Amino acid sequence: MIGLVERSAERDPDRPAIVGESRSLTYGELLAGARTVAAQLRARGAERVAIAEHDPISTIVILTGCAHAGLEACVLPTAATDETVVSIADQIGDAVIVTSRPLRHPRVLATAEVLAPTDEPAGEAATDGVVLVLTTGTTSGRPRAARHLWSRVLIPHQETRPTPDHRWLLVYGLNQFGGLQVLLHVFVAGATVYVPDSFQPRHAGRLLSPWGITHVSATPTFWRFALAELSGSAPPPLAQVTLGGEAVPAALLADLRARFPDAKISQIYGATEYGGNITVRDGLPGIPLDLLTAHDRIQFEVRDGELWVRSKTAMLGYRDDAANVGQEQDLDRSEWRPTGDLVEIVGDRVQFRGRASEVINVGGVKVHPAPIEERIGSVDGVFVVRVGSRSNAVVGSIVAAELVIEPGHDPEAVVAAVRAACEDLPPAARPRSIKVVDELPTTGNKIARGAL
Amino acid sequence: MSNSQNPAEETIRGFLARIGKDAEFDASTSLYGDGLGLDSLEVAELSVLLEDTHGRDPFSAGLDVTTVGQVLDFYAPAA
Repeated sequence: MIGLVERSAERDPDRPAIVGESRSLTYGELLAGARTVAAQLRARGAERVAIAEHDPISTIVILTGCAHAGLEACVLPTAATDETVVSIADQIGDAVIVTSRPLRHPRVLATAEVLAPTDEPAGEAATDGVVLVLTTGTTSGRPRAARHLWSRVLIPHQETRPTPDHRWLLVYGLNQFGGLQVLLHVFVAGATVYVPDSFQPRHAGRLLSPWGITHVSATPTFWRFALAELSGSAPPPLAQVTLGGEAVPAALLADLRARFPDAKISQIYGATEYGGNITVRDGLPGIPLDLLTAHDRIQFEVRDGELWVRSKTAMLGYRDDAANVGQEQDLDRSEWRPTGDLVEIVGDRVQFRGRASEVINVGGVKVHPAPIEERIGSVDGVFVVRVGSRSNAVVGSIVAAELVIEPGHDPEAVVAAVRAACEDLPPAARPRSIKVVDELPTTGNKIARGAL
Repeated sequence: MSNSQNPAEETIRGFLARIGKDAEFDASTSLYGDGLGLDSLEVAELSVLLEDTHGRDPFSAGLDVTTVGQVLDFYAPAA
């Protein structure tokens, strides 16, 4: 990763690498900052670093500095509680915690201290074997630390061409695989990443035009809200619209095509554990069957209604227990593993039906929420919807839906239309509880799903 | 049957009308089969409607509910 920044800084040190709402860094400044961080952390004998910093620009500099120093680094979600921060730092292996939080812990290093200029030498940039840790499952249950090699994560970016004029908007957290992918792409391309103070679509969407953003990669949930935010104004001059992280409804693709007729629209499918992804560029929902095996580095196949993967860029493994630090085994990357995504082959495409963990058991009948969500989402007046399970004393669980209604629509009429739209579904799949809500809970610009 | 004092009666009537199974009933009318003719998913739907409307429902309270009267009794004002 540090090599990417070095190359871009060598080509054009004055080109903006990161632009925020109150400050920006050129590639030259980013490299200098990374070297400072490397020197500070090396001087303190750090081996592993947990970055719990709310300012994304500082986070990028510290992460780049860790890569320079060859330190195992993990960016934590900004929403992580102090307890979670310490827990993950322990899980990584007594990691130094770099943060500007008033966190009382013996391994805390203040962000300002780590970024402060120093006479200590930065040393040579590390070149191989540097580990990056990404956390998964932070919305429910115990977070897991997935260990990756930077060198493998970078493999899919090797064919990226220099595109210094591209302006990418960052709306994924830097703890998310999507955010990391945007960052790496920008640094390989020598482009500029624009970092809003908030990744919420209502905030970030308003910056598309003023910043002259050309490329955005975001979740379908982000795009749905951003489209609403942009309604009535001239569309920003986007050249690339990318969606990932959630199933992509056909109606949303159509809306994006209508709103951004000149943009290329792509969907990416990947996950933290795979260390890579595949890109669907034809603008249609789902994945063409022939794309599943089109790449040597990452391949998919459908087994019993679930998508399986094998990836040469897959993670090293989970670091679940501080007692095992240094004892982890590298995963067998030729082995097929279940993705947890349930799919159906329809014609020549694979269509997503939801996560295995989100299947609703209605009196013994398994119901996939994604197709119901898509059906309800296309009802006139429904702005956004989530479908999940609701526990019930009679049948165990029922299908439940929560809707946010578009302004100007009568909620009762919309609910009636939703019921009518679901009338021909199998009885177990019909939503038996439909609630109109003001907003839906989101995490990382994804709608929180599961039990409603 | 008319028991305008019982808040659940209107809820039940509205539900039956919506699903096209509106019929006269009394306290002894079964929710299932020859009574209101609801299937288990419809009774489940009625239970969440009662819970959402009145804050609680007899099914979640663990009662063995099979008749309209048992539902109404659950909401009847204490004597």
